[in-house]
Amino acid sequence: MKVLVVDDEPIVLKSCRMVLAAEGFEVMTAGSVAEALAAIEVHAPGLLLVDVKMPMLDGMYLMRQVREKRPGTPIIVMSGYSTRETIREALELGAATFIAKPFTPDELADTVRSVLKSREKEEKGYEDEKGSGH
Amino acid sequence: MTSLALILRREGGGGFFVLYSTRSKLIAGFLGVSLLVAAVSLFIGVRILDQHVFGEARNRVRQDLNAVSEMYLTRVRHIKTSLSITTLGFAFISSLREKNAAELVLRLERMAKLADLDFAGIVLEDGGTLCRIGPNSFPAAGASLENPIARPVLDSRIPVSGTLVLDSDFLIAENPYLAERARIPFTVGDDPALRSGKEEKSGMVVAAAVPVFDGNLLIGVLYGGMLLNRSETLVDTVRGTVFQGETYKGRSVGTATIFLGDARISTNVMTADGQRALGTRVSPEVREHVLGKGKLWTDRAFVFSDWYITAYRPIEDISGQRVGMLYVGVLEDKYEDIRRETLSVYILITVAGMLLAVGLGYLVANRISAPIRRLINASQQVGEGSLTPELGPPEKGEIGVLQKTFREMVAAVGRQRATSEAHIIHSQKQASVGRLAAGVAHEINNPLTGVLTYTHMLLRRTDLAPEIRSDLQTIVEATDRVRKIVKGLLDFSRQTKLDPEPTDINRLVTSSIALVEYQALVKGVAIKFNPGESLPELIVDRSQIQSVLINIIINALDATDPGGAIRVFTAAGLSSRDVGRKGVEITVADTGCGIPSENLDKLFEPFFTTKAIGQGTGLGLAVSLGIVQRHGGRIRVQSEIGKGSRFFIWLPAGGKAEHESAGG
Repeated sequence: MKVLVVDDEPIVLKSCRMVLAAEGFEVMTAGSVAEALAAIEVHAPGLLLVDVKMPMLDGMYLMRQVREKRPGTPIIVMSGYSTRETIREALELGAATFIAKPFTPDELADTVRSVLKSREKEEKGYEDEKGSGH
Repeated sequence: MTSLALILRREGGGGFFVLYSTRSKLIAGFLGVSLLVAAVSLFIGVRILDQHVFGEARNRVRQDLNAVSEMYLTRVRHIKTSLSITTLGFAFISSLREKNAAELVLRLERMAKLADLDFAGIVLEDGGTLCRIGPNSFPAAGASLENPIARPVLDSRIPVSGTLVLDSDFLIAENPYLAERARIPFTVGDDPALRSGKEEKSGMVVAAAVPVFDGNLLIGVLYGGMLLNRSETLVDTVRGTVFQGETYKGRSVGTATIFLGDARISTNVMTADGQRALGTRVSPEVREHVLGKGKLWTDRAFVFSDWYITAYRPIEDISGQRVGMLYVGVLEDKYEDIRRETLSVYILITVAGMLLAVGLGYLVANRISAPIRRLINASQQVGEGSLTPELGPPEKGEIGVLQKTFREMVAAVGRQRATSEAHIIHSQKQASVGRLAAGVAHEINNPLTGVLTYTHMLLRRTDLAPEIRSDLQTIVEATDRVRKIVKGLLDFSRQTKLDPEPTDINRLVTSSIALVEYQALVKGVAIKFNPGESLPELIVDRSQIQSVLINIIINALDATDPGGAIRVFTAAGLSSRDVGRKGVEITVADTGCGIPSENLDKLFEPFFTTKAIGQGTGLGLAVSLGIVQRHGGRIRVQSEIGKGSRFFIWLPAGGKAEHESAGG
């Protein structure tokens, strides 16, 4: 499973890569929204971990792009300064869940796993529906 | 008071002008009243004076005129009586029978001397004069003129007496000296319409004529009289008896005059050079009134050179013709001076009264204005920022009330200023802390993520020496503290919108207590909840209010030793600030250590904490107060050292009031 982490902070990118790689994911990182869009084109990641606040184009913009170009890709939004409004906006834009920085490795791993699990369930249900159609 | 306040506002600093105007208004008021009183009393006084003094004088003059008339008539009767007695003598009758003229003249002269007659004579039944006193005693028979005195007696055979005007021819015939005495030149106002000539030649006389009988036979008529022209006896007698010779400032008070026509022929009215004012005339008004209409005149009149209170009456001759006037006058000066004196006393009193009014007004105005001036100074002091202005000694009455109100107002201004200053400082502090916290939190959270990740990842390794593991554990704990502090800062700085919904407050309190019950159990502190009944429904952000409750209950728990108790209760309560506003008061009472009074004020300031380092962030109550205030509520604290503290959270019913939303 390919996971793309998008954040303007290198330390966050490094931390996430370390934790998710240990969990067995194939981790790619992007330092900006532009880099992220390019990486999505090339690698087609199965999950996005996106910081909301970034200079230039922000996480919200990225989410809109993804929803257009690759709908169905689960996105986890993270932020160091979360307000109720930003969380709501992110969820409305199709984010699977929200995680507040700072987080421990276990918190991150649990969040990613639970998102993938629920996505798997949805897809399975979809497959089942498709199967019963045969 | 209102008008004064208005004046003060309009005049600004020019307070003294205002006070002087108040003073002059007061003085003007006093002056006006005293002037009014003076004017009224002067008017009434003059009226009374006129009525009494001049009325009295007029009455007196009228009475005097009556007395003089009576004297005049007495004089006439006296002449008649004298003549009558003479005719009764036997010797007189026999002398007349014999026509003994020489003898008769002797008798007539004696009679004239006794009765003070100017002329006397005997007329025979044929109208001729037999004899008379004086130089022309024995006129030739047939040469005598018609005798106007004796004629009516010859016709009617009864005595006649009264006033007559004798022409100058008759007088010359009677006695040339008499004719000469009768001649009076007119000195003033020669009116040709009245009489011709530059002088009076006729003589006015009081006379009588009596028939002389021998048995039943009329043998003659005895006549006699007194010439009034230039006569001084009658008028001077009047002065001596009626007026008793009274003088005023060297002049006779009383004057009397006999007029022939309108000219004075016998008078004691004097001219400027001390002569009797003979030949002078009366004013046309009096002449018309008395001579023309035959009426009595009583009024003040200008007589020759002075004002007199006068009375005139007409004199009629024996045939009923108005031939002259009798006059009495009292010098007006005497009464005028009384009037003038009284008036000046009146005016003196009035002026004194006005001076008194001005003085009194000045004093009263000062008494009023002095404390007002102090109040003006005090208000200027307040305007310059002083909250302890000089008000001077306490006054009585309205000024005292004004002072008291002013003092209360200044105190209220002071309190308000202190409150608003504190409020401004508080909100400024909160805003700057909030901005700082947001910036710090955002910057710290990213590296913190790194620290947390790497320490936890290291801890996963199994090949670590125990002491390294222990050190890493310390790092993890320290980082966790940093994380909590940053979270607290963020909570404090966040001005997140409320998400209010109708809430059963008792249920919210119960669920909050449930979240901390375990911690209380561990510490050995009992938490009891007494839910209030029939509370109004509140519209609040449940999660935020819950965090407030948890924060305050945990604070109580921290302050309470094992074995202590925390009591939470709810009750419907009215706002102490907005009168009549309904709401709910949640009370959290502990039996803890209490809060020193000097800390009560700082309790809700950010970063204020009494807990040991690492135990609290110092943001909990600041955040809680922010949340409650955004709901339009308030938090109060009561505390007693050693006994415990009580936190009262008041929340309005039906959500936040409109006017408070701006302060949010």
